Amino acid sequence: MDNLREDAMRCKKVLELLSRFIENDFADEESAEIKAHIDKCEGCRKEYEAMKSLLDRLETIPLVCVPLSFKDAVMKHLPEKKDEDK
Amino acid sequence: MVETKELLADPAIVEKIVGGDKEAFALLVERYQKGLINFIYHMVGHYEEAVELTQDVFIKVYVNIATYDKNFKFSTWLYRIASNCTIDHLRRRDPMAASLDERDEDDNLCIEPASHDLGPHDLLEQKQLEKEIVKSISELSPLQRELIVLRHIHYRSYEEIAKITSLPIGTVKNRIFRARKQLMERLRDKR
Ligand SMILES: [Zn+2]
Repeated sequence: MDNLREDAMRCKKVLELLSRFIENDFADEESAEIKAHIDKCEGCRKEYEAMKSLLDRLETIPLVCVPLSFKDAVMKHLPEKKDEDK
Repeated sequence: MVETKELLADPAIVEKIVGGDKEAFALLVERYQKGLINFIYHMVGHYEEAVELTQDVFIKVYVNIATYDKNFKFSTWLYRIASNCTIDHLRRRDPMAASLDERDEDDNLCIEPASHDLGPHDLLEQKQLEKEIVKSISELSPLQRELIVLRHIHYRSYEEIAKITSLPIGTVKNRIFRARKQLMERLRDKR
């Protein structure tokens, strides 16, 4: 009867769980339930793809380089070790 | 017999340093400098500042090396010190601001070449998106930023992140999930 509202609730729930779902952080049964919903609900599927693509992008963020003289600078600035005994 | 120092495990290197072999510290710097500079860079949003802070972190590590507990992974201990230093630094630098607006307007930044073969148009598009992602990360709170950077740029496990941040693992997970959602919303606002 109240199908629409029920669906809306389910979507809200699924969207909340999406981030965890992507990490496989659910038991099989729960995971299958979420997957089934994503398969048939376009809105949630879009969110799912968007989140996945964000996570993929994060992994390709370019790294900054280490300055060539970095190690030498650190080594030069190391304080003399205090004697072990006081 | 000649020891190939490069192959020494972290705890063995630490032992040497504690025993007075100051030069052995260079091995740890070599091993972790790239990771730390990138971690701190994404936290503070400014290259020179990140380099300087990373140097301070290594010095702090050296001074406190005798307190390293071998039951932890060395990198966990290292990142924990880096995390504390960076959060302190951010608090001192901008006590009010949760976000960082004046990032390097880059371009003179030394960035590693991306390995993908993309056409000039796609490359431009990708660069733009990368910029927006980096900007969105910088708008998160320092803790959220740290969690995202550790998890998704440094690929640390939840267990390790929990140890680095001194938070329970459940909390770490929940906060990362929330941070991701926020990141996505911020990114969407920019598109
Ligand atoms: Zn749905």
